[in-house]
Amino acid sequence: MEMIKVENLKKSFGNIEVLKDISLNVDKGDVIAILGPSGSGKSTFLRSLIDLVEIDGGSIYIEGEALCENAVYPHAKEKRRILAKTGMVFQHFNLFPHKNVRDNLLLAPMLKKQGTRDELNKKAMDILEKVGLVEKINEMPKNLSGGQKQRVAIARALMCDPDILLFDEPTSALDPELTGEVLNVIRDLSKEKMTMLIVTHEIGFAREAANKVLFMDGGYVLGFGTPEEIIDSNENTRIKNFFAKMTY
Amino acid sequence: MAVGCLLTLKLFIITIVLSMPLGLVLTFLYTSKNKALNKVVAFYILIMRGTPLLLQIFFVYFGLPYTPIIGKYLTISDRFTAGAVAFILNYAAYFAEIFRGGLLSVDKGQYEAAKVLGLTDMQTRFKIVLPQMFRISLPAVSNEAIILIKDTALITAIGLSDLLKVTKTIVNKTTNISAFLVAAIFYLIMSYVLTIVFRLLEKKFAF
Ligand SMILES: Nc1ncnc2c1ncn2[C@@H]1O[C@H](COP(=O)(O)OP(=O)(O)OP(=O)(O)O)[C@@H](O)[C@H]1O
Ligand SMILES: [Mg+2]
Repeated sequence: MEMIKVENLKKSFGNIEVLKDISLNVDKGDVIAILGPSGSGKSTFLRSLIDLVEIDGGSIYIEGEALCENAVYPHAKEKRRILAKTGMVFQHFNLFPHKNVRDNLLLAPMLKKQGTRDELNKKAMDILEKVGLVEKINEMPKNLSGGQKQRVAIARALMCDPDILLFDEPTSALDPELTGEVLNVIRDLSKEKMTMLIVTHEIGFAREAANKVLFMDGGYVLGFGTPEEIIDSNENTRIKNFFAKMTY
Repeated sequence: MAVGCLLTLKLFIITIVLSMPLGLVLTFLYTSKNKALNKVVAFYILIMRGTPLLLQIFFVYFGLPYTPIIGKYLTISDRFTAGAVAFILNYAAYFAEIFRGGLLSVDKGQYEAAKVLGLTDMQTRFKIVLPQMFRISLPAVSNEAIILIKDTALITAIGLSDLLKVTKTIVNKTTNISAFLVAAIFYLIMSYVLTIVFRLLEKKFAF
């Protein structure tokens, strides 16, 4: 069974058709880098998978369950249940500024009653250990660097035990010297067989950490295959031009 | 004079305590999905901010009883109650505007983060949005509270003896202006205490 199955997805904003006909199967443990020119619909597509964007046509299945079938969605509670094992990390972190690191991590699982405070505290420590931020547990977000904020954001997503993690340009807001620490965390997750979709401009990272590359352009999928197939030896001129223009 | 102080203080506290929650409710209605409700609240705020508070006090005390048909149910014969009602209705409108501004400046990424973590709309509102809205609104709320301290003097217009009224009477009787000084100091101390309290709140909830 596919972790994510997308069939003929369509999305318009007003009368601009942003996603035209997207179909995709994501297998367990896939790490998919989503590449493509600006405005091609990468973010819109990613956001539709976690219900931040409501689609106008097609279907989305998450671990076999319909988040949306022929553009018809179930009610809010059912959507929350279907998306319970899906998490997302944003370009601008979106940490809760009024909560310290610990409470950023604990807030959602506490509200969803996924454990006692003690259990969740322990879990938060373990996860912060993984992202290398145990000593920051009592800091407020404003006192963290961008790279640290993003690692907290990943830790916060991990608190809900996701099977699927979505990343929208997780390193684009960071100073170049801070991208490495975030990419390392994502790399570690890929070793643990986390299923991930990552919109990124880091071609080097896509080549090395992703097992598949999805190339989008003008609301369509122009290519889907191994990094080698898409980045290095593609026959499609639009794809070829895109990578030829990139300096990396 | 102490009686006057007490009345001023009482009016201030009652107004603050009741107009803030009412303002918050108005903000919710103002920003709810129901377009008709939005309009009603917008109109209410327009009236309350667009007409003098003094007029509103007169209206509640002298005007409401003359309302056709239901006038006798709207009569508030206690001067203080009538005055307080006008203050609360007026200040709620101002607080509603302040809170709405605070709400608008909460980043939309906060709603998205809450949603992808599986929070319900209610949880998002109360755990994520409201705390940030209050924090953003604090300086404006503080400002409004200090204005209110001085606005309380308007209640003399319906014949109540607040601090200022009592002071004036004393000055007339004693032909000595030191009572004015005492009144000024009282207003100053209240403003000062409020400023300190809000500073502390701002610090405590800094982020
Ligand atoms: N909420 C919205 N309302 C209207 N138009 C939108 C909205 N979100 C995106 N768009 C439009 O949809 C198109 C695709 O946007 P999207 O953000 O998905 O592109 P992208 O591939 O992520 O680009 P980038 O690499 O710049 O992030 C753009 O033309 C954009 O202007
Ligand atoms: Mg984007």
